[in-house]
Amino acid sequence: MNSILNEFKSTSALCEEELHDSLYDWDTANGFALPTFEFPAVHNLNRFMKDITSASAPCQIEIQHGTTTLAFKFKSGVIVAADSRASQGNYVSTSSVKKIIEINPFLLGTMAGGAADCTFWQRELGRQCRLYELRNKERISVAAASKLLANMIYRYKGMGLSMGTMVTGWDKTGPKIFYVDSDGTRVDGELFSVGSGSPFAYGIIDNGFDFDLDVPSAIDLGKRAIYHATHRDGASGGTVNLYHVKPDGWARIGRWDVEDLHWEFQDQPKPSPINSSVIG
Amino acid sequence: MECIFGFTGKDFVMTATDSTVAQSILIVKSTEDKSRALSKRILLLFAGESGDTVQFAEFIQRNVRLYEIRNGVELSTKSAATFTRRELADNLRSRKQYSVNLILAGYDLTTELPSLYQLDYLGSSVSAPFAAHGYAAHFLFSIFDRYHRPDLSLEEAKALMKMCVGELQRRFLVNLSHFTVKVVDKDGIREIAI
Amino acid sequence: MDSFLPVQVSWTPQTAASGSDFYPYTNNAGTVAGISGGDFCVMAADTRQSFGVGYLINTRYQPKMFKLSNGSVLGTSGFYADGLTLIKRINQRLEWYKHAHDKEMSTPALAQLLSITLYSKRFFPYYARVLLGGLDLEGHGVVYGYDSIGSYEPCLARATGSGGSLIQPFLDNQIYRKTPLGILQAPHTLDQVKAVMRDSFTSATERDIQTGDYLELFIITAQGVDVEKYDLRKD
Repeated sequence: MNSILNEFKSTSALCEEELHDSLYDWDTANGFALPTFEFPAVHNLNRFMKDITSASAPCQIEIQHGTTTLAFKFKSGVIVAADSRASQGNYVSTSSVKKIIEINPFLLGTMAGGAADCTFWQRELGRQCRLYELRNKERISVAAASKLLANMIYRYKGMGLSMGTMVTGWDKTGPKIFYVDSDGTRVDGELFSVGSGSPFAYGIIDNGFDFDLDVPSAIDLGKRAIYHATHRDGASGGTVNLYHVKPDGWARIGRWDVEDLHWEFQDQPKPSPINSSVIG
Repeated sequence: MECIFGFTGKDFVMTATDSTVAQSILIVKSTEDKSRALSKRILLLFAGESGDTVQFAEFIQRNVRLYEIRNGVELSTKSAATFTRRELADNLRSRKQYSVNLILAGYDLTTELPSLYQLDYLGSSVSAPFAAHGYAAHFLFSIFDRYHRPDLSLEEAKALMKMCVGELQRRFLVNLSHFTVKVVDKDGIREIAI
Repeated sequence: MDSFLPVQVSWTPQTAASGSDFYPYTNNAGTVAGISGGDFCVMAADTRQSFGVGYLINTRYQPKMFKLSNGSVLGTSGFYADGLTLIKRINQRLEWYKHAHDKEMSTPALAQLLSITLYSKRFFPYYARVLLGGLDLEGHGVVYGYDSIGSYEPCLARATGSGGSLIQPFLDNQIYRKTPLGILQAPHTLDQVKAVMRDSFTSATERDIQTGDYLELFIITAQGVDVEKYDLRKD
């Protein structure tokens, strides 16, 4: 009898808790927890996600996609550059996306894959980094920040998130770039390019890179890499956005319409392959 | 396409992992370390589903460390292998599985013996004089069968490692430009050049 | 024998194989557009509601654009039931915000709220293409465009829904002035914007079967929201 009573008690307590949650989860003061999501009552969530986003579904849920982003280290910091096109299938849904996300004054993230996934989770990362700062009285390292992101994303592995991002910044250990994606991969490195146009961008950077590049040349290299990617990859286009990460935080360098760059670059003589440096 | 392998020597274990991180057709990085030190003399090599590998290896790493802190003793290589296998096997029977293949290399001070364990994502664990996962096994097991001896000296082991890496780079379709080679012995774990 | 009657396209989701055919969506379509000006914002939507892929018209007048309590306007197209739920949820959040902070939520804040509300259903999305229009903190017109899981961006002019891909290029030309000669962005008066909007919908109605019947214009200024109703073709 007692056990039945207890069972009943615990159920009603749970209901109360749920009621409390649903009443108060709008309150930002309760917002230290990780985000929560509504799930459909299906056995196989992965299959459900595939169904609703499949091209043969009557109501296809199309998510903004497609990109070229890059980041590389050189002697004066990190250059981060990206295009600005977002496509839903074959439709260009906008050409003015900010794919370089300002997480805080010292951290930048880049956006490739699902636009909403990248912006949402990097906004959440920004919040977590701020909480870290308030708790520890010092800025979070890029390594730790990128690991917070990777761990958050890993919880949803295989559930349809799509993001390939680079977390960059300058901390006590110097300039840093971490590649983090929705598979759960997290690696640090000197040079990454992510997105459908990345092979084209790699072609430019790998063959034109020199660690001792001065700042204007490094900016030019990043700009050209994105331009060439937009030229060959239909899912990339719009404008080049470019940032420079320095010891005292990042700086926005500029934005160029790739159409203008095309006419500007077209008349310039091509450099000799003999003098270009190739990354080993 | 990842390659991880290792073999025992007289008083050491020598291991190698390829250093490539790949995303579909693209090489993202070619200097990645695909191993974690579980303790001073136990090394865990991993290959498999990206994301799962590091998450699982670091989970094992932290729990082996926790055991050391709680009990004031280091795990033997065999204990570490048993623990790792059990975690993998338990996890296999959950809703979502890690798909990770592992090699555990260690040197035990108590027995003064090197040992090597091959674990796969289905929860098998085998103690062996040499081990390899994935395609590497096809290329390397015949070489091990022909050239491996339990009393290999370090110099001989380096030569054998060179043969292995050379064979992979000569005959394996996938371009694996760089391998990270490590030695585990009584002095601990160190990376070596071959 | 072929009968030339419209046939409901039957589509069974893959989940049917695993013992569930849960597919809680249909497409009621329609078109929503918005243009922002210096001190105003014009939002527009047709009022036709269709049913799924069967060419059936449910009703000729079911507004899909709503004035919110903070003076912003939210338009939804796609799955009408999801749109309604979204509107209800947003309205309730606006009311809670008012009670908690004793002021109305600004449009830019609402834009972010809408984004995370859509994203909270990342794994069970609202099948709704939404557009939010209003005035920003300085009183300039703003239009925010979204995808169905919350990716959003402020824009000068934006069209979405079944006729979105017909109207957007026209707005690019008329509002952004994207031409082979470059971008010649000109300031627009309210009357010009209203005219562009009416032309957009008249043309979209000609070519999109799910757009038509009536056009509702929501004109947002510092004085409030005016609603104007116009006829569209009813075939």
